[in-house]
Amino acid sequence: MMISPYLTQIELNAINTADQAEQTALLQLTTGKRVNVDSDDPSAAAGEVSTSSQSGDCDQFLRSIASISTELQTADSALSSGVTALQQAISLGVEGANGTMSQDDRNALASQVQSISQQMMSVANTSYNGKYVFAGTADSQPPYVVAAGVVTYQGNDSVNQVEIEAGQSIAVNQPGSQLFSAAGASVFQSLSDLVTALQSSSSTTDDISNATNEVRAAYDQLNSARTFYGSTLDQLNASQDFLNSEQLQLTQQTSNLVGVDMNQAATNLANAETARNAALQATASIGNLSLFNYLGTQASGG
Amino acid sequence: MSSLLGTISIAMGALEAQQAGLATTSNNIANLNTPGYTREQPILQEADPIINNGITYGQGVTLQGIESLRDSILQLQIDSETQQQGQAQAYVNAMSQAQTLFPDDTSGIGQQISNFFQSLNSLSTDPSNLALRQSVLSAAGSMASAFNGTANGLSAVRSSLDQNVQQAVGEVNQITQQIAGLNAQIAGVSSGSQGYGSFLDQRDNLVQKLSGLIDVSVINNGTSITLTTKQGAALVAGNQSFALSTALDPASGVQHIYSQGTDITSEISSGQLGGFLQARDQTLPAMQAQLDSLAGGLVQALNTANAKGFDLNGNAGGNLFSPVSGAGAAASMTVAITDPSLLAASSDGTTGSNGNLTNLSAVANQAVSNGMTPTGAYGNLVFQVGTAVSGGNTELDASNTMLTQLQQQQASVSGVSLDEEASNLMLYQRGYQAAAEAISAVDQMMQTIIQMPGANT
Repeated sequence: MMISPYLTQIELNAINTADQAEQTALLQLTTGKRVNVDSDDPSAAAGEVSTSSQSGDCDQFLRSIASISTELQTADSALSSGVTALQQAISLGVEGANGTMSQDDRNALASQVQSISQQMMSVANTSYNGKYVFAGTADSQPPYVVAAGVVTYQGNDSVNQVEIEAGQSIAVNQPGSQLFSAAGASVFQSLSDLVTALQSSSSTTDDISNATNEVRAAYDQLNSARTFYGSTLDQLNASQDFLNSEQLQLTQQTSNLVGVDMNQAATNLANAETARNAALQATASIGNLSLFNYLGTQASGG
Repeated sequence: MSSLLGTISIAMGALEAQQAGLATTSNNIANLNTPGYTREQPILQEADPIINNGITYGQGVTLQGIESLRDSILQLQIDSETQQQGQAQAYVNAMSQAQTLFPDDTSGIGQQISNFFQSLNSLSTDPSNLALRQSVLSAAGSMASAFNGTANGLSAVRSSLDQNVQQAVGEVNQITQQIAGLNAQIAGVSSGSQGYGSFLDQRDNLVQKLSGLIDVSVINNGTSITLTTKQGAALVAGNQSFALSTALDPASGVQHIYSQGTDITSEISSGQLGGFLQARDQTLPAMQAQLDSLAGGLVQALNTANAKGFDLNGNAGGNLFSPVSGAGAAASMTVAITDPSLLAASSDGTTGSNGNLTNLSAVANQAVSNGMTPTGAYGNLVFQVGTAVSGGNTELDASNTMLTQLQQQQASVSGVSLDEEASNLMLYQRGYQAAAEAISAVDQMMQTIIQMPGANT
């Protein structure tokens, strides 16, 4: 068979094929990816669009959780001090209901209760980053204001939801109307009633006890409603753990989709280099072969 | 009976034949590396014998001519495979350019869509925060730019293909003109002469080059060939070539190809032109349409969601993006607002409400384009462009392998082997020496006769 003019073409093809295999293996080793352009594996590339987006979402959920956690902690610790203050008010009420107390002593207790009421006012108007955390979504102004001695709630009952895992949202605030001014359990009304009972000379110990019970009801409401913050923070922690493991899983999934088996790629590189060297050597040795060489030797010899 | 002079003439014929052999061999060797050269060999024939008194005397050898060792069926197969290869190569090149516009990971439209929805989640933690609102608008702007960039990139690939089409048509016209010229030259040369083979080689070469550019059907009419496209548009007939022309098609905005006034654009399916046209007129427009549908659907869904809420001033939300739809939607996507307070995050009019961000975020999971979510639709585009390139590459590899095999076969018929030429050279040289010896022997015999005593009397 005559193979002459295309012999070089065949050799070039062999070298090119080996070159390409070598470049592919090198690219895979340097990028750590098997899919470097969409056409390397179209369905894996499309899959990576989705895992890459999910992974970005996980990062964002984790950032959002960190950001709302601080706000929730601020609210929770404010409520914690509020609960302590109310406990103190209840003790003062119980003390005041003691029949042996003089009116002066009761007046002194009343002024302590008044200061607790002011303390509760500042708790209810706690702000974080310029937002009032117990105002519902009307958080640009203080939820509780005093007008002519009467405390009124000017916030709303709305609750914001934040998505913290794909498709899962949680409420991130508790409006003051459920904490401080729930029907029949109003912190400010009960404290004001206790002050009135303590200050009034006509009050019986029963009146004071009743007023104290009002404060106790407000305390119970606040104490139970505030568990919202604790449990939400717990849930955020749980979500954080879930998202971190989700991240790992997505990384694994991405690596399965488009990552390269490093051992395989290293072996491919070695094989491609061997093939390339073999092709080059073959080209070098075949290039010299022709009958002319031998005829020339014979002619000069004979 | 034969005479001495007759023997000399036989030996002279032999010398001529061996010389022709040597000339052919050295021409073969000279063209060892000439692309498309077809090996030649002398056609030697035994001369008609003379019968005298019942005895047959051979009259030596006559040189009939020089023939090229070509296999025209093989050449047709090579031409046809070259058309496939040209098509696949041009298509793969075009789609590889388009492919870079659709990255699958950290950049491009997919990433920007993802970033935008993440910025909404970030804002939901503090909906009245102007910095976070500004981040949402920036992410929306980056998303729009990514759509603009990708759409413009696709248009650029299409318009460069449009130029390629015009250039390829120019090359086709040049080649068909040359082939018509060769047809005329070949008609004027006798088939045994050495020039004849070289004209055929040139013509085969040109037909193969033409096959790389466009569908070609070859009809061999003896010495002259007629070329048409597969669908029958005339390219060359005898010594006449028919130029193709291009003109802007107002409906599609791209150059169409005309043969003597008839639009043959849609008929061309192979050669480079076939590849250019497939990418320019089919694959890329389909991708553009999907990109526009995604852009239009996303804009509409986000605008609808934004309109359900209230901005920071308590007013009902307006358009987040300028409304776009249909062709050009992706290229013209722009954010409609620059004031971050106009983003309608609130569902009740209070500044602290993030209720409407839920509606905006929900768009990420809505079917906005052909039943697919925004990220899903983008992933589908990545899949399509990837499949177009990898499918094209598979075809190209198959074509290359096939073509290499055909070329090897052709080489075994028509290629020059130095080994064979070396041994032929030796044979012709010895043949020439032997014929010269024969003349020298006859010369001595004639001397003998001339010098015979009494020869002068």
